[in-house]
Amino acid sequence: MASEGPESQRLESRDPADIGEPLALAAMALARRLAAGATLWCVAPEWPEHARHVAVEFVHPVIVGKRALPAVSVQGPDAVAALRPLVRVGDAVLAVSPGHSTTTLALMRRAEAWGVMTIWIGHGDRAATAAADHVLWVDDDDQRCVHDGRLVLRYHVLWELTHVCFEHPGLLIPSSCEPDEVCITCSDEGRLGEIIVAGTRTASVRTARGVETIDTMIVDPLAPGDLVLIHAGSAISVVDG
Amino acid sequence: MTDFLYPFIDADERDAGPLLADLAASARDKQTVSTRLTQKTLERNAPALRAIASEMADRLVRDARVFVFGNGGSSTDAVSLAALFATPPWGRPLASRNLVDDSAVLTALGNDVGFDLIFSRQLIAHGHPNDVAIGFSTSGNSSNLLRAFAEASGRGLLTVGLAGYSGGEMAGSPHVKHCLVVDADSVHRIQEAQAALGFALWEAVQARLSNPHEPLTLTSPSSISQPRE
Repeated sequence: MASEGPESQRLESRDPADIGEPLALAAMALARRLAAGATLWCVAPEWPEHARHVAVEFVHPVIVGKRALPAVSVQGPDAVAALRPLVRVGDAVLAVSPGHSTTTLALMRRAEAWGVMTIWIGHGDRAATAAADHVLWVDDDDQRCVHDGRLVLRYHVLWELTHVCFEHPGLLIPSSCEPDEVCITCSDEGRLGEIIVAGTRTASVRTARGVETIDTMIVDPLAPGDLVLIHAGSAISVVDG
Repeated sequence: MTDFLYPFIDADERDAGPLLADLAASARDKQTVSTRLTQKTLERNAPALRAIASEMADRLVRDARVFVFGNGGSSTDAVSLAALFATPPWGRPLASRNLVDDSAVLTALGNDVGFDLIFSRQLIAHGHPNDVAIGFSTSGNSSNLLRAFAEASGRGLLTVGLAGYSGGEMAGSPHVKHCLVVDADSVHRIQEAQAALGFALWEAVQARLSNPHEPLTLTSPSSISQPRE
């Protein structure tokens, strides 16, 4: 999945320890989504208090005069099941979670099918974070960073920078070809879908375009929750979810 | 075109590059401020942390429970610290829980007796003289925390407050035996330093419990706080 806007190529972070560029790009992308009416869904399967902390920052700003923004903390260990019925195309999902979290990885892998932008804040092994659009990372295996303020710093600054972006309305207009919008030249190369109902040879599937009926003869049998790659109305392969 | 009337609202701004560079620089500055504030706070509060750790350890070996509370973002710091004591990444698990997570209790108390009493009424129900009460506030003025500390100290609990700015009313309250102050005026930076203070306190308690007869030396602040940043 690509980051939003052409500037992401120019500002791609080279120093993995630098928090500046990843935070700048995440804040701009989040501000664009929120300006367009998105809800920010916050999950932290392993550390639920961090999801609550992010949501309360956005809903009830500590700085008087900053606008309240729609962020929701969704609790429970199964973040995929909790978010599936709630998220809408165009929303943003933010996870505060360790790099080894299989729940968060499953969530990030569904983001394209759900049509949502993702931010992953965490620590430890960052291999799985390639599945997220924006990664705000503490490169430290030590669990102390869960408690000593370093994860908190990242979402505090994300909130602060997002509000700076709101002072630049001209930059909040979506760029001409958002990755998750239908583009005549790049659509249908192989879109991700999540199975809602699996039938015989056909299935009802959720994609960034909405709910579609697709042919599944090539990849049957399928089960609800499976991720498939769709090309020209057919599921052509099953993807790890 | 009416841009000349509202030059401060640049609706025609299209190049995000300059703003992104500003945002990135701002993020780095905030990280530097946070790291320095945390180190300074840990150094300044080191004697108090040692004293609190000793007193808490004396109580914990006699089966004390540690209750932690706060409002808003500080409630999440309370959850984090209580979880650190109860289910630690290393060291011994200790009886600790937060007073902010049970929506049935909070809404019952808030509705029936008022929000100012949501923590003190729980301490009336659960607090024993040997226990410990820890409250997080950025202002130091939250009335439900001040009420909780008054109730706790009246019942013999050890009371520990974490506050920002110059400590607010918590710093001068006779009911807060130890007040750890983060001397700053940004709520966000205060909370980041408070989280590090909470972690340092937990580490000091663990150290005291594993070596009860040795003089307590805290891990140096530079290694407690943000070692890689």
